[in-house]
Amino acid sequence: MYLYNLTLQKPTGIVCAINGSFSGGKSQEIVVARGKVLDLLRPDDNGRIQTILSVEIFGAIRSLAQFRLTGSQKDYIVIGSDSGRIVILEYNKEKNVFDKIHQETFGKSGCRRIVPGQYLAIDPKGRAVMIGACEKQKLVYVLNRDTVARLTISSPLEAHKSHTIVYSITGVDCGFDNPIFAAIELDYSEADQDSTGQAASEAQKHLTFYELDLGLNHVSRKWSEQVDNGANMLVTVPGGGDGPSGVLVCAENFVIYKNQGHPDVRAVIPRRADLPAERGVLIVSAATHKQKSMFFFLLQTEYGDIFKVTLEHDNERVTELKIKYFDTIPVTASLCVLKTGFLFAASEFGNHGLYQFQAIGDEADVESSSATLMETEEGFQPVFFQPRGLKNLVRIDQVESLMPIMDMKVINLFDNEETPQIFTLCGRGPQSSLRILRPGLAISEMAVSQLPGIPSAVWTVKKNVTDEFDAYIVVSFANATLVLSIGETVEEVSDSGFLDTTPSLAVSLLGEDSLMQVHPNGIRHIREDGRINEWRTPGKKTIVKVGYNRLQVVIALSGGELIYFEVDVSGQLMEVEKHEMSGDVACLDIAPVPEGRQRSRFLAVGSYDNTIRILSLDPDDCLQILAVQSVSSAPESLLFLEVQASVGGEDGADHPASLFLNAGLQTGVLFRTVVDMVTGQLSDNRSRFLGLRAPKLFSAIVRGRRAMLCLSSRPWLGYIHQGHFLLTPLSYETLEYAASFSSDQCAEGVVAVAGDALRVFTIERLGETFNETMIPLRYTPRKFVLQPKRKLLVIIESDQGAFNAEERESARKEFFEAAGIGNSENGNVDKMENGGDDEDKDDPLSDEQYGYPKAEAEKWVSCIRVLDPREARTTCLLELQDNEAAFSVCTVNFHDKEYGTLLAVGTAKSLQFWPKRSFTAGYIHIYRFLEDGKSLELLHKTEVDGVPLALCSFQGRLLAGIGSVLRLYDLGKRKLLRKCENKLFPNIIISINTYRDRIYVGDIQESFHYCKYRRDENQLYIFADDSYPRWLTASNHIDFDTMAGADKFGNVYFVRLPQDVSDEIEEDPTGGKIKWEQGKLNGAPNKVEEIVQFHVGDVVTSLQKASLIPGGGECIIYGTVMGSVGAFLPFTSRDDVDFFSHLEMHMRQEHPPLCGRDHMAYRSAYFPVKDVIDGDLCEQFPTLPADLQRKIADELDRTPGEIMKKLEEIRNKII
Amino acid sequence: MSVFGGDSWGREAQYRKRRVDDLIIDGLDSSSYKKLSNGKFTCLLCPKNPIFDSSLMLSMHNKGARHLAAAAKLKEREISIENEAKKRIALSNCPVGYAAISITSMQASKSVSRPLIQQTRKAVSEVLCKQAPQQIGDNIGCHSLGVTSGFSCNTSVFATKVAEIVPPLRKLDFQERRERELKFTAAGWKRDCTGKWFKDENVEFDSDDEDPNVCLR
Repeated sequence: MYLYNLTLQKPTGIVCAINGSFSGGKSQEIVVARGKVLDLLRPDDNGRIQTILSVEIFGAIRSLAQFRLTGSQKDYIVIGSDSGRIVILEYNKEKNVFDKIHQETFGKSGCRRIVPGQYLAIDPKGRAVMIGACEKQKLVYVLNRDTVARLTISSPLEAHKSHTIVYSITGVDCGFDNPIFAAIELDYSEADQDSTGQAASEAQKHLTFYELDLGLNHVSRKWSEQVDNGANMLVTVPGGGDGPSGVLVCAENFVIYKNQGHPDVRAVIPRRADLPAERGVLIVSAATHKQKSMFFFLLQTEYGDIFKVTLEHDNERVTELKIKYFDTIPVTASLCVLKTGFLFAASEFGNHGLYQFQAIGDEADVESSSATLMETEEGFQPVFFQPRGLKNLVRIDQVESLMPIMDMKVINLFDNEETPQIFTLCGRGPQSSLRILRPGLAISEMAVSQLPGIPSAVWTVKKNVTDEFDAYIVVSFANATLVLSIGETVEEVSDSGFLDTTPSLAVSLLGEDSLMQVHPNGIRHIREDGRINEWRTPGKKTIVKVGYNRLQVVIALSGGELIYFEVDVSGQLMEVEKHEMSGDVACLDIAPVPEGRQRSRFLAVGSYDNTIRILSLDPDDCLQILAVQSVSSAPESLLFLEVQASVGGEDGADHPASLFLNAGLQTGVLFRTVVDMVTGQLSDNRSRFLGLRAPKLFSAIVRGRRAMLCLSSRPWLGYIHQGHFLLTPLSYETLEYAASFSSDQCAEGVVAVAGDALRVFTIERLGETFNETMIPLRYTPRKFVLQPKRKLLVIIESDQGAFNAEERESARKEFFEAAGIGNSENGNVDKMENGGDDEDKDDPLSDEQYGYPKAEAEKWVSCIRVLDPREARTTCLLELQDNEAAFSVCTVNFHDKEYGTLLAVGTAKSLQFWPKRSFTAGYIHIYRFLEDGKSLELLHKTEVDGVPLALCSFQGRLLAGIGSVLRLYDLGKRKLLRKCENKLFPNIIISINTYRDRIYVGDIQESFHYCKYRRDENQLYIFADDSYPRWLTASNHIDFDTMAGADKFGNVYFVRLPQDVSDEIEEDPTGGKIKWEQGKLNGAPNKVEEIVQFHVGDVVTSLQKASLIPGGGECIIYGTVMGSVGAFLPFTSRDDVDFFSHLEMHMRQEHPPLCGRDHMAYRSAYFPVKDVIDGDLCEQFPTLPADLQRKIADELDRTPGEIMKKLEEIRNKII
Repeated sequence: MSVFGGDSWGREAQYRKRRVDDLIIDGLDSSSYKKLSNGKFTCLLCPKNPIFDSSLMLSMHNKGARHLAAAAKLKEREISIENEAKKRIALSNCPVGYAAISITSMQASKSVSRPLIQQTRKAVSEVLCKQAPQQIGDNIGCHSLGVTSGFSCNTSVFATKVAEIVPPLRKLDFQERRERELKFTAAGWKRDCTGKWFKDENVEFDSDDEDPNVCLR
């Protein structure tokens, strides 16, 4: 089996983020690392985050930093990754790529503890960079300029110290003195030697300053002093005239200012009033804002509260450190304060936010200060505060994030949709949600209005070619035409000059400022001054089809006669030429007039004899046939799409101008071909099935470029995004006819007719594969099951260290009463249903923003929810009592019992992970569905001697993985009856799949075990297992002998039982073999073989076999912790395998990954990659420079066009 | 080839050996032996499937008397199976469908003069009637419910054909009984040496569970 791996949704979580001016000048951009993807983001003028560039680097980004050489206008990016190399990148604005400036190797690849890459620190003046490992090694590179102002990098200087763990490093701002780096370190050499553990308990963290002597080119330990053992982060304090220099040490409960030769200045971090006493407060992210006259820091705690930290200083002397409550937003991985007045918050989980500063926290608020710090015998006196609504920040945009995907299923639960939806459980704690992903672009509907009849067509038209906005919407009915003028409101007008007693075939602007209406009996030309010229059809013939652009019109009369008109210099429409076609014309189109030309050269004519002809419109060979293309069925609609030449830049790649002819065929296929701009010859045909109706094609404008709308049984948009032509479905209903629409409310919209309604909408978030619908949940979702018959979802959610809904509600009431806010008359019951985090503005304390109040770690909350995804409504929600938490769920049909389908839920009571994994009891609950599956009733619960982490229905009974025991239960009157068990599993069973009488059991640590149930003996036998100890995170059953699994190191693998072994097992008439055969070393007698292996580079949490296109082949869809969705498509032909493996090989050679990790080594990080071709690498082919593309294409004996066609084809097989 | 390293003669020797092996194997019928994953060979014709370290030994074995005897026996059996197959094909080719015909209609159409075929058919159906219950029993015994490997599938189809010819009472009874017994074993009942049922002590039962000692009597 050969597979093709393709990422469908790039990771949406963020590991780290930096901000700066990467394209130079005044612009402010954000660079984010999403695990294996590096993105450049920029807030646009409307305050929406736009992704400018997104690059997969085939490696793990562990740290990011930006620096600027003195006097320069542009920031560089330094990346610490798992490649064992330091990489410096520069953003190239012209080509819209990251250019690799330097790549220096210093160690082995992989995330190792003593190979640097985990920490990065920059000298604030951009003279040096320190890259550190978790332990021992730190390297310093000196950055400089050469004579032509290019960046140079020195050989590394070592600042190693063995037996030392590093917690954080940062550059110290000391102006233009020698660069200094600060580090929080812990020396464990003594603790390691001392077996009594005393030295370990006395181990002390130190703050160490390393000085880089630029004169001697040498790094030395300059100063070291003890810090709190809770210290976890360092923040640079501005120096060199702007401030006092030194660092802020963020420790548990404290922020401490430290500098060499300066006494400590310490202030306590204010605590939330409801925080349990044993919990500390840690700072998790920080941002510095610096202006000419002042600076301050924003520090965020692990509970999401942001504090503004200011320093009172007198030159180099810090007199006071103040920590003031600023605002509360969801916990972030990184905070970026932009100079333009925005705060970008890269959330740890859930959606990322872009905030605008309303104020900078100058108003009075809860504040702690070093001056008022009180020490009593119990320790330092804490300062308390209550979180409140946002005061200093206001959220203006959010970027959706699926991180982490906890579970995923692909199925079509909506009757009116033809493609399946992806249901994902995302997020954590109060930010949990169920997200329904649909392939396609999201649209936002601006208006829907009913019309007096069923319209057949719609156009928009400007009054003058220079106008920015459209003037009229013209709607044609079966026997009339309606003209609407666009202004403040849209209303019907009668003075437009259009003939309203006849249906229209086309309406457009002609020449500079006149309008044209084509109706079956003639052409009506309305001049700007109101004069009307009418051209009538000869005899009894009627016009059937029209093709037009701004200066040319071609009409087809019944019988197949073509008449060609042109607008002459005086603005008159003149007949130029006639031509008799052999039969009726099915469709027509004229290419748009090229810039600076009089006319377009090409006319395309589609006929019912399944051909498309290109005719010349040149005066010397007018209406001569230039090219003929035969197609599989009669064309219904034609559209020329011109792609303007581009040399890269903001949103494009380097490509020459080209002209595409698109044809919608009657079979529902979109046929696309390239038209030679000189000869009119057609080449490079591609076709794609769009839907059951023949696609109608319309031109539209998307981000200032021409795009194509295809209306089949669902609408599609063809547009250019980051240099690729994408054809993506729109998540909207079936449309009849459409036209682009532009008014002052809506610059780039579409007006369309469907049924008897006129619809105006805009298309959003271009470039995305999926659009999502979000349904908030209450706690971290764990798993869910489907009831396909009733189309309901049953979700189990559980959280550690939180209060349950009633406790929270009462605490909240108490707080509101204390604060005197007259809220909470609604009781929030409805909102509680959905986790209490919908966008309710009058809720002053939404859980989504503030998080749940924290309880003791051994306290669990959990619920079981039945949800109707069609109405996004929770029909039943059972909160578990007595500190129980749900971990597994399945539906089961017990044989010959009265209840029908039941729900089994595995729970654990008082589960603890620290200091040792322990629990009081495990239970399996059995619920009955009531009210057509909409609610649940507990039938009984059975205590079991372990945590049931896996449940599965099997032959009318329930299989449960309880700890390391696999057990078969039958339904009893008062409890489940244990019928059979097997205790031979090595660790903990976390997944069970069944097929016929085989059971495929996944162990948390040792991969799959294949079992068989013998009914005649009432025994479970393990007959095969895996030879690799895999830490399983997800599993899926592929076929009788094959399982797909994913491990926690980011590998996906398939194992298969060899055919002969499988046959032997099945043809074992006495059963003696399976019973008595012994394995070696406690293993099973047979071993499965690994047939596929691939390193995804991200922990895969769910795998499913599904097809995302109706009637398409099945592929394996996976979801990951970082919130990405990908697919493995099995190849069906050997030729494709050969082609793509060669393309992959050439891509590896010619286009090595950006951060210096070898592609092959990355994909083989834990096990050698086997039989998987990396489509993500292959899809970078179009981004290569043209000469490189040609070189690779020559090696493969193809043209670059053919390669791109292949890539497009295989992508279309998946989505 | 790291065992021999560099450009020593070892690699060449290895190649030569492999080439010789290939040549020896070439002469043999590929269906009569199998190359195992450990590189050894096994003879598929001999009933005990002896294992040989090298192709040379396999080729020597193939010339041996025991192997030849086994091969001859196998051949004989194949021929007999072929004959049997032909016979059945001949039977099924008769114009009235084999399965569709009922005994009464058979009697009615006795006048049609095909005495030999009639006779054979009768004999065959008698033989099959006697065999059928046992065969089905075996089938269930060796394959738990739900498994439909090629073998069991065929027999069950065959069995239904037979079932239409003979009065189905006896067979159904047997199958039903067998199924009920299986249900009890799956529910955790066991049998002692006298055929009495007792509860497995590791299995839990409901208070009102049926007792096979009573209901199977």
